[in-house]
Amino acid sequence: MKANTLKKIFPVVLITAVVFASVALLNWTDSITRGKIEYQKEQQIQNMLTEMFPNMSQYTFEDDIYTIYSDGAEVGYAFIALGKGYGGNIDILVGLEDEATIKGIIIISHSETPGLGSRVAESSFTDKFAGLNIADVALSRDGGQIDAITGSTISSRAVIDAVRATAMEKVKLLKGGEE
Amino acid sequence: MRVKMGKFGKEFAKGIIISNPVFILALGLCPALAVSTSIDNALGMTLAVLIVLLGSNIIIAAIRKIVPNIMRIPIFIVIIATLVTVVTLIFHANFPDLYEALGIYLPLVVVNCIILARAEAFASKNPIVYSVADALGITVGFMLALLIISFFRQMLGTGNLSVFGVNLFTLPILGEHPMVMFILPPGAFLVIGLLLALFRRTGVMKSE
Amino acid sequence: MNELITIFISMALINNFILVRYLGLCPFFGVSKNVGSAVSMGIAVTFVMSIASLATWLINHYILIPFDMEYMYIIIYILVIASLVQIIELFIKRTNLALYFSFGIYLPLITTNCAVLGITFINMIENYSLLGSIVSALGAGLGFTLVLFIMSNIRERLELADSPKSMRGLPIAFLIAVLLGLAFFGFGGMI
Repeated sequence: MKANTLKKIFPVVLITAVVFASVALLNWTDSITRGKIEYQKEQQIQNMLTEMFPNMSQYTFEDDIYTIYSDGAEVGYAFIALGKGYGGNIDILVGLEDEATIKGIIIISHSETPGLGSRVAESSFTDKFAGLNIADVALSRDGGQIDAITGSTISSRAVIDAVRATAMEKVKLLKGGEE
Repeated sequence: MRVKMGKFGKEFAKGIIISNPVFILALGLCPALAVSTSIDNALGMTLAVLIVLLGSNIIIAAIRKIVPNIMRIPIFIVIIATLVTVVTLIFHANFPDLYEALGIYLPLVVVNCIILARAEAFASKNPIVYSVADALGITVGFMLALLIISFFRQMLGTGNLSVFGVNLFTLPILGEHPMVMFILPPGAFLVIGLLLALFRRTGVMKSE
Repeated sequence: MNELITIFISMALINNFILVRYLGLCPFFGVSKNVGSAVSMGIAVTFVMSIASLATWLINHYILIPFDMEYMYIIIYILVIASLVQIIELFIKRTNLALYFSFGIYLPLITTNCAVLGITFINMIENYSLLGSIVSALGAGLGFTLVLFIMSNIRERLELADSPKSMRGLPIAFLIAVLLGLAFFGFGGMI
């Protein structure tokens, strides 16, 4: 009798043991990797902000807007814009010099076509945003100041539209916060 | 238990050509084509597969005698999924660039037919030592297949051949104007289709 | 509404699972010799994808995130899918035995279909709403079925042609996929 019940509950015991062991292992792995992963995300943002604002000494993050300081003085703002590209979302870091001028943009990640739409990440395209008035962020053919990349109008437009729209939205927030 | 070196060698060699996972068994096609855009990615994926396949073959071979038949598949899945999660977390923390490059194909290793098929067909029926040989052989076969495919795709699609970020050489005309199609999906299908036809023509594999 | 349509078209055509995302290739090359079985596989996969997306979204938002256990997603998602396929298999066996036999081994194989697990990952990464996840699964599954339908029609006719011996079967299927993939690039300008 005893051997029989043992045989019956053994599978249940085994799978419980396996699941238990796996959850324990994963919990442990998560605890030793989580810190590093968080740290890397922060590092990545910090590196990009420093690239955009070379004299940055520190930054704060509130309401999805980064405020950049250089030795105590406010030198600009930054935020992340999401463009709807050909292959999915395009993550863009947009820097503002003040409430009307773009400092520059950095493409954080994208899934655009290699060799075509992916060229939005190249400096030949992103450099064109530096120093522009937010209102001038548009394709040349739409009255703006930026030429689309040949063969990648969709990707170019996705970046441009996202930068302009999000910039206008953030500027509204900044102005509203000051009053 | 005496390990017969001959048998170890045989099981190892089997995975490289005769039972090559990608070209012969047609397993693990999804990640094979997805990550073969560059040699670095191919090697990174091979590393992930090595860890998971080796780990799962060892563990499953170790417990093969106490696992009841009905519980086989669920337990295998839990073991493989755990290993894949560990590898994913470790890569995310320590090799962030590789993690980004592999994308969703890294966690998808859990349904990579190679791993479950070897667990089911081999590790559950053979002692640990030979299961290790099988895992190593299959991984080498996988790596070779991936390297061949990514060699062509990277050369024709970007004009450069680079390993671990070091540029080995750049092709004369293709360096400036590479055939971008090769790093896109159609190019992947083209390369593997022609390779399969070539293998069959030259007798390495049998035709249908 | 606009966003849902975009998600649907993106998953079905622009970022088609088989031709653009390299997902679901095993059944694509394994089942596509016969139109009937190809379409049945496609519908079955769409069904599993949709329910799996629903289940995993609920689990993700009500269990994994609140309890800070997001790292468990791989294990939980695959177990959900495996159980779902088991349940569906039992259901079909009880209600329509002929259908059960015609599926054969391919039904349990849906568990290891990277497309099904893939859609749950994609929904999680893109952070879609509950409705968005289901729409995305429907789009992905129907796009998958469409490509399977086209491919199987072509392959059925190719069986009658005189192809070179080394090309027969898998190699030619891959070459067809090249052409289909290139054709699908044209969907890029739709939205």
